[in-house]
Amino acid sequence: MSATASVAAEGIGVRFLFDRHRRVMSPMLAGVRGRKTEVWGLREVGFVAGPGEGIALLGPSGAGKTTLLRAIAGIYRPDVGRLTVRGRVAAVLSTEAGLMPTLTGRENASLVGTLAGLGRADTRVRMEHVKERSGLGSAFELPVSAFSQGMQARLGFAVAEQSDPTLLLLDEVHEALDHEYREVVERRAKRIIADGGIVIATGHDHDLLARFCERALLLSNGTVVGDGPFAETQAAYLEQPQA
Amino acid sequence: MPRDLARTLARHWDVLVSLTVSDLRARYGRGRLPFIKWVLDPFAVVGVYLILTTFVLDRPGENPGLTITCAVVPFQLAMLAVVNGMAAVSARRAIVLNMAFPRALIPVSSVLTDAAVFSASFFLFLLMMAAYAVLPTPAMGWLPAVVALNFVLAVAWAYPASLIGIWFPDLRPFLVSFVRTLFFLAPGLVTLAEVHGRAHNLIRLNPLTGLFESYRAVFLYGHAPAAWEILYPLGFSLLLLAVFVPVYRREERQFAKLL
Repeated sequence: MSATASVAAEGIGVRFLFDRHRRVMSPMLAGVRGRKTEVWGLREVGFVAGPGEGIALLGPSGAGKTTLLRAIAGIYRPDVGRLTVRGRVAAVLSTEAGLMPTLTGRENASLVGTLAGLGRADTRVRMEHVKERSGLGSAFELPVSAFSQGMQARLGFAVAEQSDPTLLLLDEVHEALDHEYREVVERRAKRIIADGGIVIATGHDHDLLARFCERALLLSNGTVVGDGPFAETQAAYLEQPQA
Repeated sequence: MPRDLARTLARHWDVLVSLTVSDLRARYGRGRLPFIKWVLDPFAVVGVYLILTTFVLDRPGENPGLTITCAVVPFQLAMLAVVNGMAAVSARRAIVLNMAFPRALIPVSSVLTDAAVFSASFFLFLLMMAAYAVLPTPAMGWLPAVVALNFVLAVAWAYPASLIGIWFPDLRPFLVSFVRTLFFLAPGLVTLAEVHGRAHNLIRLNPLTGLFESYRAVFLYGHAPAAWEILYPLGFSLLLLAVFVPVYRREERQFAKLL
C-alpha cells in the first residue's frame, strides 16, 4: 500500500439558507436581507476513513449522501465542524460528471485534467489513454451534448481517473453505465483500495457497492445513523420504514 | 488583495489557460466564423456612431471615425467583461458542482476570453488610421500600458459583475444598461476637448474618460497620455479589486449551493 489517503470529519454540518421565495442565499446575502429559512443538508456528521477502505453511503433520497460527497470533494465547505481530506481526489458526482456540453470529449478531458491539478502538458500526454479508457472511439472528438447518459458517465469516469486518484468519490454514476463498463469501474475501485486509496460511493445498486465496499455509512436527514460492515448497515437501512 | 489575486494567478496559470481555452470554444465555437464576427462587431458599432455624429448630430469633429474607435474598442472589452462576467460562474456550473478548483480565476478567465475578441478589433484602428491618413508616432510606445490598463479595468469590473450575476440574476438587463450609460457619460462619441463647461470636469470622474483619452493620445493626438488619464482609471480599478476580490473569495465557497 503506497497511497496516503484519509478523510476525517468531526461534527461537520452543511447549511442551506433560503429567502422567502425559496431561493438559495449565501450567508452574506442572508445577513443583508434579514429574513431567511435554514435547512441543514448535513448535521453533526463524524467519521474517519483510512487507507484501503471502500465505503458505501446508504440512505434514502435526500438523506445527505450527495451533500457529504460534495463536502469531501471540497465543493461545499462545511459551515460547522472540521473536515480533513488527504489524497488526490477525483469526483464523479453526477452523470454529467463536470463535463461541459459544448466541448468535445477531448476538450473536456483537457479541462478537467488541468482543474484536477495536472499540468497542460501532462494532460496532453495522458489524452490517448483517457480516450482508450473511455471506450468512446471516434465519439471522443464530438461535443458531449451529443452523448447519451451512459457515454457521458463513461467519459466522466475516464476523465476523472486521469489524475490517478487516491480518493475516488462516485455518486450513483455507475448506475448510468452499461454492464461492461460497470465492471471497469468496479475493477478500478478495487485497484485504488488495494493500493491504499479510498473509494466512497453512493447508489441504489447495492450488489455492485457490496463488491468493493466492506463498510457502509447509513445517513438519514443529514445525519449518520449507522456505521459498520456493509451487510449489517444495509440490513439496518432496509429495515427502516420507507417513506 | 490584488496581490493575493496575482499570486493565485501565477500559481494556477495552467488552470487559467484551460478555463480560457474552454470558454472560447464554448462561447464562440470553432473555425473562422467567430473571428470574422469579432472583427465585424466593432465595425458595426463604430459605423452606427459615425452616422449618428456625422449626419444626425452634425458634429463630425476631427477624424471622427478614429475618435469613436478609440472609445468603442476599449469599451467593448469593459462591456463584455460585465456581460460575460455576470454569466461566468453559471456558465461553468458543471465543473463548479463537480470539482474543487480556484474559483477566483473564473472572472479573469472570462476577461481573457473577451480579450481575444478585443484583440481582433484592433484591425479597426489600422483601418481608421489609414482612412484618415494618420501616421503612427512614438506615442504608440504607450499602447501596451494603455491596453494593460484596459485589461485591469475589465477584470476589476468582472468581479462585481460575477457576484451580481449569481446574487441577483434578475438584475442583468439593468446592469448592462448602467454600463452602456457610462459610455455616454464619457467622451465616447467626441473628444474630451469638445465637451465644455461643467460637464468637462464632471465626466473626468468616469474612469472610462481617462481610458478613452489614453487611446486617443496614442492613436490620434500623437503624445503620451496625461498622468491622470492612466492613474485615475488604474486607481479606480485597484479600489474595485480591493473591495470585491475579498467579497468574491468569501462567496466562492457558496457558489455550488447558489447554482
